[in-house]
Parts: sequence; structure tokens; C-alpha cells
Amino acid sequence: MKKVLSVLICLLLLGGIISLATGDEAGGADKVTVALCIADTLGDQGFYDSANAGLNRLSEDYGVVPSVVECKSDASAFKPALVDAAQGNDFVVAVGWQFWDALAEVVPEMPDTKFIFIDNGLDGVGDNLMSITYKENQGSFLAGYIAMKLSKAGKVGMVGGNNDDTINNFMVGYKQGALYANPQGAVLEPIYTNGNYDAPDLGKEAALSLYSQGADVVFAVAGKTGLGVFEAAAETGNYAVGVDSDQKYINPDVILCSMLKKVGDSIYDAIGSYLTDGVFEGGQIWDADMSTGLVDIGYGDDTMTQQVSAELKAEVEALKEKIVSGEIVVDSTR
Amino acid sequence: MSELFSTLLFQNTLRTATPVVLAALGCLLTQHVNITNIGIEGMMLTGAFFAVLGSWLFGSWLMGLVFAMGAGVLLGLFYYVFVIKFGSDEFIIGVALNIFAGGLTVFLLRTLFQVKGSFSGPGIVPLPTLTFPLLAKIPLLGPLLSGNTLLVYVSWLLVPLLWVMIYKTPLGFHLRAAGEYPEALRSAGRNPNRMKCLASVLCGMLSCLAGAHLSLGYLRMFAENMSAARGYVAFACVIFGRGNPPLVFLAALLFGFIDALGLRLQKVLPSDLTSMAPYVVTVVMMVAVVLLEKRKKKRLARLSR
Repeated sequence: MKKVLSVLICLLLLGGIISLATGDEAGGADKVTVALCIADTLGDQGFYDSANAGLNRLSEDYGVVPSVVECKSDASAFKPALVDAAQGNDFVVAVGWQFWDALAEVVPEMPDTKFIFIDNGLDGVGDNLMSITYKENQGSFLAGYIAMKLSKAGKVGMVGGNNDDTINNFMVGYKQGALYANPQGAVLEPIYTNGNYDAPDLGKEAALSLYSQGADVVFAVAGKTGLGVFEAAAETGNYAVGVDSDQKYINPDVILCSMLKKVGDSIYDAIGSYLTDGVFEGGQIWDADMSTGLVDIGYGDDTMTQQVSAELKAEVEALKEKIVSGEIVVDSTR
Repeated sequence: MSELFSTLLFQNTLRTATPVVLAALGCLLTQHVNITNIGIEGMMLTGAFFAVLGSWLFGSWLMGLVFAMGAGVLLGLFYYVFVIKFGSDEFIIGVALNIFAGGLTVFLLRTLFQVKGSFSGPGIVPLPTLTFPLLAKIPLLGPLLSGNTLLVYVSWLLVPLLWVMIYKTPLGFHLRAAGEYPEALRSAGRNPNRMKCLASVLCGMLSCLAGAHLSLGYLRMFAENMSAARGYVAFACVIFGRGNPPLVFLAALLFGFIDALGLRLQKVLPSDLTSMAPYVVTVVMMVAVVLLEKRKKKRLARLSR
């Protein structure tokens, strides 16, 4: 009797799950579904959170059905996450250069799903994949310029999440911008946290070390690790520069400005243009540079302390035009 | 080179070592009652979360500590009940605790604070920094002795206190007896399980204080998985110091020193190598301990012949 009962209950539960699942599909059949696959976790108040904000805007404005998968930097989770997301969604947005290998395998197998690869370029894989890369070196040039202009010691530094091409692309731009502002100034060797993008304690130690070497502005390019840089800046009375999102709100007194990489906006634009005009630039690498406005500098809003003067902001605007027109060519590692 | 070995290096050492010291002091108590507790990693993480929660809810660091220690008592009891009362495998329960803590803190973060991954903000009141003008005047050591956060001093005080407790008081004697030879304790009319329970609860409290130091003293935020394997390092320190508080303290300081040095050596060495340093040192330390133990055993064996 007990056995029969337990089998019955199991069947009932199973039936419930199946009906729920199919019910979901039926309800969302006419709506576009978008899954965001994130290489690390949300909560960096920068890169990944920006992507998520873009997705939420898409769901508000176009009614797309959003979902998020966090891979927690587990490389073995990348491929299953992509396959899983591709099976149940119209769009899969892979956020993070780390998805390179997994996408190369998954994209050709899933021709009915449209993929968007953020922060790395992959071509020749299929017409259902578009890549978006960013000229972070151009934005970092401006960040370096502002940092050096506001540095009393004429010394600036940077904390990077990893010693690789993407992070160093920020570094070379930052360095060039800082030396453009003051050729006699010094840009300290960056300190890397070796792939630890979620260790604010390491970020704090790295920044304290840079401040002790005489730098008074530090550029944090390390995801959640960067939050520790802001802590260090507040503790020692120095300044920091944020990255990816407009991070000024985190601590307006120490964050001068942020180098914006508008990941969310680019996702919004890419999927939005498909939803309105049916255009999807599959098979292409879209390199978002300063002219697109997707790479920029953010100063928070007017309610926050503004260390950057109106004059300096105007100078930055002029520099932006020079970069767009090609008068200034910013170094790159890509 | 002189730039490398500055006061800042040693300040960094202290900051990095303190959470490990606190957790290791807790862990050595369970080690003495013969429980191999690898769950301190999860306890630390939970402590870090509840410290932030208490501090944020009541706007007071004291409540943060109370919350963290409360969580510690519960986790210590949980560990005791499963490992001693129900006789489960201590490793399985330890690992389960660590994974559970990782999930629980993320879940609570999302439900209580409606944020993902990390929580920071002006609402979190950090631990106070204590400055001693007299101590600060001592040359060289001054900046190390003064201007630390509360729990750094607590960890210093706990080292001699625990040493006295373990080796010089009846309580400590019973504690060690519960681990080494529970039958003897039982025949003396004492219950070894009560000692194990006490050690487990104290371990929970100290590990959670270590977490509180991370989230309220070292930083002023909670971030997902912020304990970052410090619990395991603390465990290694306990083995290395053979459960003796001053030795364990030194082992933790050594770990902190290597970590701090690694950050500064990036100028000379590739950064991937320098981040490996603390773990390489841990392995070397463990091998050294095993070899020393072996030699000691051989000598004893020769003597008894």
C-alpha cells in the first residue's frame, strides 16, 4: 500500500512539474526569450551588472522574457550553460571573454538560436553569432588623463584583475592618457590579482600598496575586487577611478569618475534593433569605439561631489573628439 | 629592497593573518578534542555575513559581533550534533557545512538585501580602530601595535589566554583528555561529549569572529565567498603548530607574511607565481612537520628499546 501510494505521489509531482514546464512554454511562445550567460557572478556593480541592467531594460521596453545563468568562473560550466540556454531561448548573450572556446563549439550546433558574444571577437563560426568588443583603451585614455590631472603627486596606478590582453588594453590606454596629461608624471606598474575578480580583500591590499608607493589615484579594473580599491582609497584619503558601470555612487567622495563600457546598452541596442527592424548582424564583430558612445566617461550625477571641474570635463570632451576623428591614436593590446 | 621590507609590508601581514589566526584558534580547540574540523571555512563565511547583517540592522558594530557569534554558536552546535551525537563522518559534515554556507549566504543576500554577489553601503558600521598614543611612539613597532581594528587585539589576547586554558587549567586538561583518551575522562566521572560540545561551540564562535573581522574590520562589505579558502589555511596552521596557540599564531603570521610579500614581488616575478607562494609554503610546512614527527617517533622508539 505504502509503495503504491509513494509511486502515485511521485507521478503526481512529476505531472505537476511537466504541466508547469509546458504551461510556461505555451505562455511565452509569442514572446522573445533572452538568456544571459555570465562567466562569473552578478554583484560586481560593473561589467556583469551592467549587462543585467540592459537585459532588464529589454524586458521592460519590449517585453522579452529574461533569464540569467551565473557560471561562477567555473570553466566546466560554460558549455552546459550555453547549450541549456540555447535550447530554451531565442537569444543567448554570453558575457565574458572566457566563453570563447565554449561558443566555438556550441554555436554551429544550435543554428536556430542567436548568440551574442560580449567582450571578445569570434568570427567564422556561424551566421547566428555576433560579437561585440569594446575599445576600452580609448575610454581608459580619458580615465588616465583625468587621473593624472587630479593627481597632486603626479603619480597614478592601476589594479588589474588579471595579466592578460583585455586588462592590459585598459592599462596601455590609461598610461598613454596619463602621460598625455603630464609627460613628467609617473604611471606605476599595475598590480594584478591573478584572475581573482571577486576578492575585494586582495583589491584593497593591492591598492594600499600602490598608494604607499606614492600614487594618489588608482584605476580599479577588476570587477568585485575593485570594490576593495575604493575601500583603500577612502581609508587613506586618496582617489580611485571606477570601471565598466558608472560606479561613482558607491563612494562619491573617493571615486573621481568611471570609465564606462556600456555593456548593457550594447546588448539593448543589438537585440532591440532585431525586435524593431528584424536586423541581426550575425557573423560579424562589432567593435564599439568612442564614436558609438558605448565607451565613455561617467561622472555620476549632480547630487554627488564632483572633483572633476567643468573645465577639465570640457577638455575631456575635446579629447573625445580627437580620438573619434583619429587625431589621437590610442595604443592597444588587441 | 628596503622599499619592499617597509612597515607597510608588516601591516599587510597583520591584516592578512588576523582572520586566519582567529579561525585557527577556534580550530585548534576542536583539534584537541580529536575532531578534524574543516567546516571552519563555512563558519567563517557565515560569520562574515551575519556580522554585516547585525551591523546594518542595528547600526552598531557590537550587534554585528553579537550576530556573528550567535551564528557561530548555532553552527558549532550543528557540527557537534551531527559529528558526535549522530556519529557522521566529520569530513562529510565539514564539506557539507562549507557548501551550505556558500549557498545560504548568497540566498540570504538576495532575499534580505535584494542584491546579488556583494553588499556594501554606508549603513554598515565597521569595527572601531583602536589607537594607543603611547604604543604608537615606539620606533619601528609603533605603527604595527597601534591603529588596528578591535578584533586584531582580541586575537592577540586570545593566544595566551587559550594557551593558559588548554595547558594550565583543569578545563583544558579535561578538554585534551576528551580527545586523547576519553575513557580516562569518563572513569573520572566526566562526560567527554560535553567537552567536545564546548570545543565545537567555541570553535564556531571564533571562526565566525574571524568572518566578522573580514567583513567589518578588514573591509566594510560582504562579498560572495569572501572567506576565500582562509579556513583551510587556518586548518593547516593548526596542524603545523600542533594545536599549541603561540605556534599556531606564528604559523598564521608566516602565512600572512608570504601573502603580503607575494603581492609586492609582482614587480620581480610573474604574478601567477607570486600568488602561488602561500600555498607552496603551506605544502612545504606540512612536509616539514611530518618529517619532524617521524624523526621524533624514531627517537622515542630507540629510547624505549
